[in-house]
Amino acid sequence: MSSLSQNPKKTLLFSAMKNPNTLKKKLASRFLKAMKKLKYKMSPSPPASIAEKKRRHRAVRAAAYASMASAVGPRRAWSRALLRKMKGRKRARRNPGNMNTRFGLNHLCDIVPGGEAMDSCSLLNETAHYIKCLVAQVQIMREILHSSSSSSTIL
Amino acid sequence: MSSRRQQSRQSGASRITDDQIADLVSKLQQLIPEIRSRRSNKSSASKVLQETCNYIRNLHQEVDDLSHRLSGLLQSTDADSAQATIIRSLLM
Repeated sequence: MSSLSQNPKKTLLFSAMKNPNTLKKKLASRFLKAMKKLKYKMSPSPPASIAEKKRRHRAVRAAAYASMASAVGPRRAWSRALLRKMKGRKRARRNPGNMNTRFGLNHLCDIVPGGEAMDSCSLLNETAHYIKCLVAQVQIMREILHSSSSSSTIL
Repeated sequence: MSSRRQQSRQSGASRITDDQIADLVSKLQQLIPEIRSRRSNKSSASKVLQETCNYIRNLHQEVDDLSHRLSGLLQSTDADSAQATIIRSLLM
């Protein structure tokens, strides 16, 4: 473990081939913390208006992406772009010369956060990692739903 | 191999070779369940990229849908027990 921290490049490589369980655990703990925070912020009564329901929906979704981005941290360009967006900073410089259209990547760079500032190689790498994290996040949210519905508390 | 070295000497636009792109595209191919179920090596790069876009859009939609359901459930959710179940399932 200590050798990993001494060699930053190796750490990057290992984190790329990370055991999916460590990522999932990190994602889960952050997301659950965020959910707890949301729960305390809200009023205990069920949402009255549609606007309130929408607000809660958006808050949960924002928490999902926020916990994804902060769990991955600044190691990946897409998480950096998400974190920047959340903090309201300006976007990174756009890709000069725009080589993305060369390989038909113009749709992908709009979908992956921070995609327009990347070259084609990094874009594909980032996409792979982004997909992995999204899949893990979706699994976690499903598990939370199932666990709370199976041990259902009847209001 | 020599063509790769030649290309890297040129200015930035051609530094990324087609081989590298094809490599990364095949790596992506492994991640997408749609293409994995079919026989691999048959899909062209553009098909893989298209499927990737669709897959990511679907995942975004799922996150949206799940957060909708979670927000409705938020009142009764006991975060501690949920956390315990998740960690238990991860350790198994």
